[in-house]
Order: sequence, then structure tokens, then C-alpha cells
Amino acid sequence: MVGGGREPAWRSLPWLAPALCLIAAVVLYPAGFMLVTSFRDLSQFGRDRGWAGLENYRRLLGLGHLPGVLLNTAVWVVGVVAVTMALSLALAQFLDKEFPGRRAVRLAVLVPWAASVVMTSTVFVYGLEPFYGQLNRMLVDLGVLDAPVGFLKTPLSGFLCAAAVAVLVSVPFTTYVVLAGLQTVPREVLEAARMDGASRPQAYRRVVLPMLRPALAVAAIINVINVFNSLPILRTMTDSIPGHGADTTTTLTFKLIQSDRQVDTASALSVLNFVVVLAVIVVYLRVARPMREH
Amino acid sequence: MNRVRKAAAVLLVAALGLAACGDDPGGEGGAVELTLMVPSYGDKTQPYWEDLVADFQAANSGVTVKLEVQSWENIFDVVRTNVQGGKAPDILELDASGPAYGKEGLLYRADEIVSAETLADIEPGFVESAAIEGVAYGVPTVASTRALFYNKELFARAGVTEPPGTWDELLDAAKRISALGGGVYGYGMPLGKEEAQAETSIWTYGAGGSWGDGEKITVDTPEATEALDFMKRMIDEGATQPDPGATDRTPLMNVFIQGKIGMIEGLPPVVGQVREKNPALDWGIAPSPTRDGEPVTLGVADYFVAFKNDEAKLDAVRAFLDFFYQRDNYVRFNDNEGFIPATKSGAEAAAAKPELRSFLDALPGAKFYPAQNVAWSATSGAFKDLVGQIQTRPSAEVLREIQAKADEAAEG
Repeated sequence: MVGGGREPAWRSLPWLAPALCLIAAVVLYPAGFMLVTSFRDLSQFGRDRGWAGLENYRRLLGLGHLPGVLLNTAVWVVGVVAVTMALSLALAQFLDKEFPGRRAVRLAVLVPWAASVVMTSTVFVYGLEPFYGQLNRMLVDLGVLDAPVGFLKTPLSGFLCAAAVAVLVSVPFTTYVVLAGLQTVPREVLEAARMDGASRPQAYRRVVLPMLRPALAVAAIINVINVFNSLPILRTMTDSIPGHGADTTTTLTFKLIQSDRQVDTASALSVLNFVVVLAVIVVYLRVARPMREH
Repeated sequence: MNRVRKAAAVLLVAALGLAACGDDPGGEGGAVELTLMVPSYGDKTQPYWEDLVADFQAANSGVTVKLEVQSWENIFDVVRTNVQGGKAPDILELDASGPAYGKEGLLYRADEIVSAETLADIEPGFVESAAIEGVAYGVPTVASTRALFYNKELFARAGVTEPPGTWDELLDAAKRISALGGGVYGYGMPLGKEEAQAETSIWTYGAGGSWGDGEKITVDTPEATEALDFMKRMIDEGATQPDPGATDRTPLMNVFIQGKIGMIEGLPPVVGQVREKNPALDWGIAPSPTRDGEPVTLGVADYFVAFKNDEAKLDAVRAFLDFFYQRDNYVRFNDNEGFIPATKSGAEAAAAKPELRSFLDALPGAKFYPAQNVAWSATSGAFKDLVGQIQTRPSAEVLREIQAKADEAAEG
């Protein structure tokens, strides 16, 4: 920028081209293909039988369980992201303090993030199994439960367990983003606030939180996208539950493809999914104005 | 050591064969490459096919076979994507949804892909059950029927003297075993996603029902309602393990093998699994209980089909499939996977094995899925996703929901 803000954009093209090509190939092309598919009539064997107009969308909106699934999706996204953010704020505050062994604890927090999500979910599937699950066994041995419980056998408890795992794997990344944000808060500003008579909670709310705004914005947006599109946790943990009581739009997309063999309707749902996530982010940016410089 | 030497010899012969073809002046189309896609039944599947392909190539210079082994979980998506992209395999092994591709005009007929002698050796019932509008496109590879596996030790403890033949006897025996307590349950009912359609079919066929035919899928019938009502009664009266609606077949079978389930419906390969995982288990096999004790159970077969990719490859396809159905090659395949052979010569060989007797005996009374109906795949998917709800909802309502999915699939 320095000295040449008026450089024509095309001059930077040679440097941007590789990245642009990559984005076109792995993002724009598949997304475009999905959009086209949602207006085509595909046979259950995958053969293209011509234009379908809005037929796929009509069929999608006619699904009796769609409202419930949309509600689940909203609860899933808002619940998981909110709990993740709250826990991460507390955890980051703790990890920001000096204490012996802090480095080891900071590394330990990373473990759920480093492990494959499917693996983590599978561990819980086995652990919560009523017949031979270790977690079930432990809860019975400790006297918390009288007999093993099928945690992943009913929609509500299965959904909550999956949400807990989603929080577990989202917390490390979020904590590190918040922790990075905390380290940009100058010590002098905090000291000044205390000198002016602010209590600890007041200092946190009035000084630290506003300065964390950009970090929280990044963490929130990335989490919303991530959690919204999260498939492996629910699919691994709640796929055996009959009905649509534990489905979000993402798992419903898969059921449309694999069980109902409707790739076209599934594409329509994916487009809807895309539009919703885009709308959520636009609204978030407009309303919360997280990027605003104060 | 021997195998390495054999493989090396095969490679050498294949290379020479290819070279010879290259020299052949009239050899246009001499070198044919076939693509073969098969599902994996277990650890022995891939080595079997690798050996068979090597043997076949050694005997047929100029034909190379490109093998692709896929898991059962993925193969349907892979096939669908390949067909969509115009890259269907030349030869494909799949469940009865394979022959259904014939509806779209994508497949050779069964009598085009194997010789008349091979076709004459195959049990006609399997070929017919997968015919689409009277035309057979698939040749059966493995077959299976279901039978009731039961735990003799739990039977003795609960005072059950012989395996149940009717539903009422089943309910009574299961309740008595469940009453033993200590994490032991009478009847294992897997209605989770893995194979809910199979359990439901065993019960519905046992009530004299069926899921329709090539013309129309009928799910919401009086027989099915009666069957599902009885299943619900089993659940409500505590005769089954908890939460049958969300219990998958494989994990539940493991619980049976551990000795905590009194009775469960199983496939022929379970025999091998019990022997391997818990040889100490005292178990037996009996025919599937039905409403009145009439012998009927679910039969399932997998099929080879060949896609119309290139007319020039048809001779090679036929040569390969005939090679597979040669008695030794075919019996070895079924031995490996623990299934019942679908050829007459194979069945003679299998009849010598006592543990397969119950399954072979059930064959005449076996009923198949109406897989020749293109709407069946989606219907089967609807069973997997929805039928477990009978645990909490009226069965008639659940059946109506599945019928609606079947009707929708029939439309397009």
C-alpha cells in the first residue's frame, strides 16, 4: 500500500492467479455444480433426466419433518457455539495466568483438537454403549446410575451427547483464539482501570471484553460455520436413532442421498443450507458489528 | 514363498502374453482391460479376488482385470457416482439393487454374461427373484437365509426346553430368559440403521406377508401391521434388549456371542464368528419362529451384473464369470465368506457341512426382497431410518410413513 494505493488490480494478478485457480477448482466449481444439480431431475441411479425447475425445492419444503430438523439445526448451532464460547473464555482466562506446569496444561487442552473427530466420536459411541461401554460401567460402579443407560439410543439424549462432544472438540481452537486475544490486552490499561476504582468484574466487562471483540468475532464466525456443517459427530453418534428427532440439515442431506436416493433433493437442501449459513453470518456482522474499531 | 513364486510366474506369463498380443498382426482388440468392482465381506475377500484374477489372467492372455474392492458402506455411493460420470465398472458385484440398473437399460442380460452351462447350474429361484420385468440381468454370487441362533445355557437356566417355533412360544421363552436378570435379555431385536429391513422382513414374512412385487411395493398391509404389533409387544413386555429401535445388528450379535442374549436371528457367517470369538459358547440353530410355525424366512442373494460399456469386452466378461463359477473357484469363494452357494454343484459340496444344514433347509421356504422393483432401495432405506420408531409410536403410523416413501420412489 505504501506509496502506491492506486496500482491497478490486474497488476497483482500473476501473484493471485494460483490461489484464484485453486479457489475456482475446489470451491466455486463444486458449489456451482451443486446449484445446477438442485434444478435437475436425477434418477436414483444418478442419471440426469433433464431440468426439474423448482420441483426439488418443492419436494424439500414438503417434507413433514423439515421444520423439526431446522429447529434442531438452530439449537445445535446456537447451543454448541454459545457453550463453546463461554467455556473457552473461562479456560483462556485460566491459561493466561502464570502457574507452574502451565505449558503442559496448555498442550493438554489441544488434544481433542488434534484427534480426528470421527475417532473421538467413536470412542464415545463405544464408551456409552449400554452392554460393554466403559463410561456406562464407570457410572454404574460409582453409583451414579443403577443400571447402564442407552445414552445414544433416544433422540434427545443422543443429540445432547453429540452436542457435548461437539463442544469438546471446538473448545481448544476457540480457547487459543481467545488466549491470543487476551495477550494483546496491555497490562497498563488494566492497571489504570483498577486505579480508577473498577472492580475485577467491572474491569473484565468494560476493558477486557471490548478489547477481545475482534478475537471473539473470528472465533464465533469460524465456529458457526464449522458447527453448522458438522457431520461426523452426529453421524457417528446418532445415526442409528430411528426417525428424524436428532437430525440437523447436514445429516438429513446424507439421509436423502443414502436412504431416499434423492441426490437432487439433497442438492436443494445443501443450497438451502448454504443460503442459511450465509444469512446467519451477514446478520451477525450487521448486528454485532464485531469488526468495528472502537 | 510358494505364493510369491506363483505370483511372479503369473506376472511373467501375463507379460509374455501381452507382448505376444502386441506382436499379433490381427490383434485389434486383443488386449482387453476389464474393470471389476466387488464389495468386501471380510478379511478374506480381497486376497480371494487377487488370486482369482491372477489365475484368470494366467489362463487368458490378452485380458487384464482391474480389481477394485469397496466396503459395503461405500460401494453404493461409489457405483452411483461412477454411473453418473459414465465410468461404470464392466463387472459389478452388488446386492439385489445391482440387477435393478437393468431398468435403465445399462446392463447386459444374464444369458449374455455367462455361458448356457453356467446358467443351467445356477438355482433358478435366485435368478428369477432378481428379474426386472421378466428379464434377468444378475447372476447370483452368494446366498443366505436366516435362522434363529439360541443360547443353550440360558435356555437351561430359564427352563426353556426347546427352541420356539411360533411367536407365542418365542415371546414366552424370551420373557423367561429376560427374567433371569443380570444384564441378560431374551430376544435380540436389531432395528437400528444397519439392517432394520431384514429383521422387519423376517417378522412380516412370518405373518404370511410380503413387500409386494416388481409392479408395486406394499408396506402398509394387514400382515405387516400384525407383525410390527407383535414386535412392539415383545418390546413393551420386556422380552427384548432395551432400545431395540436404535440397536445395530453387528454390536448386538457380539452381545449374543458374549452369552448375554437368549435368541437372535443370524446369517450363515455368524457360525464362523461364534467359533472364532467365543468357542466356549453353548449354542444351537433353529428355524426362524413364525406366527403359526409355518417355515418361512428371509432369503438374500448378491449378484454379478455387467454394464454395457463396450461391446468388444463382452467375450472377456463371459470368460471371467464362467471362470468364477467353475466349481472349485466358486466353492472356495463361498467357503471363505461362510455363505450358501447359489449353484447346484456348489450346494452339493455345502450339504456336507452340518452347520450349513439349517440354512440350506430354509432355502425352499425363503422369501426375497422385491429388489427387482426400482423403488425397493429407497423403501429399504426408509425401513432403516424409520422402522425403529415402533418402539415409541403406533406401528400402523410408522408403516404408513414408509409406504409414502416407497410410493414417492416409485414415481421417480
